[in-house]
Amino acid sequence: MRVLIVEDDATIADFVARGLREAGFAVDVAADGEAALDRARQQAYAVAIVDLMLPKRDGLAVIDQMRRQGIQTPVLILSARRSVDDRVKGLQAGGDDYLTKPFAFAELLARVQALVRRATRAPEPTTLTVGDLVLDLLSRRVTRGGTPIDLHPREFTLLEYLMRNAGRVVSKTMIVSHVWEYTFDPQTNIVDVLVSRLREKIDRPFETRLLHTMRGVGYVLRTEA
Amino acid sequence: MTSGTSAASRPFHPAFGLRLALWYAALFVGGWAVVVFLTYWLTAASLAQRDHEILNAKLGQYAAAYERGGLRALTETVQAEQRTAPERLFVRVVDRGAEAIVLSQPEGWDLRRLEIASLSLMDGTLVQVGKSTAAREDLLARFRAVLGMVTLTVVLVALTGGFFVTRSAVRPIRRLTRAVARIISTGRTDERVPLTGDGAGDAIDELTRLFNAMLDKIEGLVTAMRGALDNVSHDLRTPLTRLRGTAEMALAATPDLDRCRDALADCVEESDRVLVMLNTLMDISEAESGTMHLRREALRLGDVVARAVDLYRDVADAKGIVLTAPTPADIVVVADGTRIEQVAANLIDNALKYTTAGGRVDVDVLADSSRARLRVRDTGAGIRPDELPHIWDRLFRGDSSRTERGLGLGLSLVKAIVEAHGGTVDVETEPGKGSVFTVALPRGEVPSKSAGQA
Repeated sequence: MRVLIVEDDATIADFVARGLREAGFAVDVAADGEAALDRARQQAYAVAIVDLMLPKRDGLAVIDQMRRQGIQTPVLILSARRSVDDRVKGLQAGGDDYLTKPFAFAELLARVQALVRRATRAPEPTTLTVGDLVLDLLSRRVTRGGTPIDLHPREFTLLEYLMRNAGRVVSKTMIVSHVWEYTFDPQTNIVDVLVSRLREKIDRPFETRLLHTMRGVGYVLRTEA
Repeated sequence: MTSGTSAASRPFHPAFGLRLALWYAALFVGGWAVVVFLTYWLTAASLAQRDHEILNAKLGQYAAAYERGGLRALTETVQAEQRTAPERLFVRVVDRGAEAIVLSQPEGWDLRRLEIASLSLMDGTLVQVGKSTAAREDLLARFRAVLGMVTLTVVLVALTGGFFVTRSAVRPIRRLTRAVARIISTGRTDERVPLTGDGAGDAIDELTRLFNAMLDKIEGLVTAMRGALDNVSHDLRTPLTRLRGTAEMALAATPDLDRCRDALADCVEESDRVLVMLNTLMDISEAESGTMHLRREALRLGDVVARAVDLYRDVADAKGIVLTAPTPADIVVVADGTRIEQVAANLIDNALKYTTAGGRVDVDVLADSSRARLRVRDTGAGIRPDELPHIWDRLFRGDSSRTERGLGLGLSLVKAIVEAHGGTVDVETEPGKGSVFTVALPRGEVPSKSAGQA
C-alpha cells in the first residue's frame, strides 16, 4: 500500500516516512503543493498525509483540487493549528481526518490505518486474539488460556482498543480520546490507573506479560517481550 | 505634533469648516432678507394706504360742498382749507362739457408724482383730488438706506459668527483626528482624546467617549496579548532547559544504550509536558483577554459535572478516596460544555491530589435565583494562609504540591475560564481539614426541549 506525504519540513517528512515504511507502507514524499498534485494525478494512493502550510499551494487548496479532479484518496490533514474552527475548516475542505502538530507517531500511524480500513472496508472480525488472550466482541467475554476474566466496561473498551492495535504503540492521548472521548488533556494519571487495573486482571495471574509500557511513548499489547 | 500627523489631518478640515461657515452665513442672511423684505413691503403698503384714506376723505368733503353750493362753494372750501392745512393738495373739477377747472395746484409739483383719487357726481361732474408722493418716497428711501446698513452689519455678523461657530464645532473633530493620526503614526494606544467639557451631552463628546472606550478595549487586548507572549516565552524556558540538558547529558556520557533510551524517553515526556503547558497557557491567555472562542449553549450543569466525576472515578478508587457525584437537578447554565467540564475536572483533580486515603471528595451542584453553583469539597490538606493569595497565579505550586505531578496551571485555567463565562470562583479552606472550591455561574433558562422531557 502506498502513502503520499505532503510536507515541506524535511525532518518531519523523513521521520513519518521512515515510520510508515517500518509499518509496511510504500511512501512517496512531496515537498510542495504543486508536486503533491502531480504525484496524486499519476498514482493512486491508499492515503495522503497533507500538511496545511505548504509552499506554492497550501494544503487546503491541494485537497480541494484533488477532490475537483475526482481523486478520492483519503486525506489526513496535519496542522499546527489546534482550534475547533480550523479542524472543521479542514474537514469541510475535503479532509478525512485532522491531526495537530506536534503529534505522537503512534497516533499518526493509527489514524492512517483507520483511513485505510475505512476505504477498503475489511470484514469486521467477531473475535480479537493476541497470544492466548481472546476477546469476543459479540458476547463481550474475555478469556486468557481458557480462564474467564471479568472486566468493567471501561477496562473492556481499553482492552478492545489495545487488541485492535495489537503490536502497535498506543499513546496516552489516544487512550484518553478513545476510552473517555475527551478532546482536552485532563492532565492527570487516569490512564495510568486504568492501565494498571487492566494489567492486574489480564497479566498478573499469568506467566507471560502481554501489556507493556513503552516509557515516554505509550502502551503496547504484544506476545513477545 | 509631528509634521506627518498634521499633514494627515489637513486635507479634511478647511474644506469642511469653510462649507459649514458658508452654510451658516447663508441661512442667517437668507432669514434676515425675508424679514427685511416683509418689513419694507408692509411699511410701504401702509403708507400708501394712509394717503389713500386722506384723499378719499377730502374727496367726500369736496363732493358734498360742490353738491351743496356748486363750483363756488367748492372753491371757497378749498381756499379756506388751504389757508389752514399744512399740506396743499391738487384739486381739479371737470364738468360735463369736459372743461377742466384747476382749483389748486401747488407750485413745482411734478404731476407724475401725484397720487390721484376721482369721484363722479350725479350730474356727471368729475372731482379729482391729488396728493404728492414725494414725502412718502423720501421716507421710504431713508428706510431703505437704514435697512441696507443693518443688512450689511447682519451679513458681517453672520460670516464672523459662522466662522466662530464652525471653529468651535470642528475643534473637537480636529482634536479627534489629530489623536487618531498620532496613534496611527506612533502605535501608542495609551493616548486618549480629551473631552471638550463644555457640552457634556453633545454628539462630539459622545463620539470622543466611544472612541476612548474603543482605545481602552484595544489597549487591553494588546496589553493582554503582549503579557501572554512574555509569560509563555518565559514559562517555556524552564522545560526547554530541562529537555536540552537531558539530551546533552546523554550525548556527553559514555555510550550506553539503556541510558540513551532513558534520556530519549525523558525527552519525549518533557516535550509532551511542554505541549500541554503551551496549550494550557494559550487557553488561559485567551480566556483572560476575552479572545477565547466559547461555544455557548444551554446545558444542565449536573450532567456536565457528572461526566468529569466519572473521569476520576478510577483514580479515586485507586487512592481509596470516596468521590460523590452531584444529584441530578434541572440547573441550567448557558456555557461552553467542554470548558465547564474542564473546570470541574481540574477542581476534582486538585481535590484528589491533596486528599489522602480514607478521605472524601464531594461534588455538588446548587442554585439560587440568579446563580448556579458547582461545589467541590475535600477533606484534604487545606491551603496554608500564606499560600492562599497565590493559588490562582500561573505556575504557582505550594510546598505540599511539589511532590505531586502537575504544572501549576490548573487553578489559573479554572479561574480564567469561569471569569470568561461571567462567573466567579472562591475557596474556603482550613489547613488540615480540607478545602471547598465554589464556582458560581450566571443561571440560564431551562431550555424548552429539556423542559418537555421532564
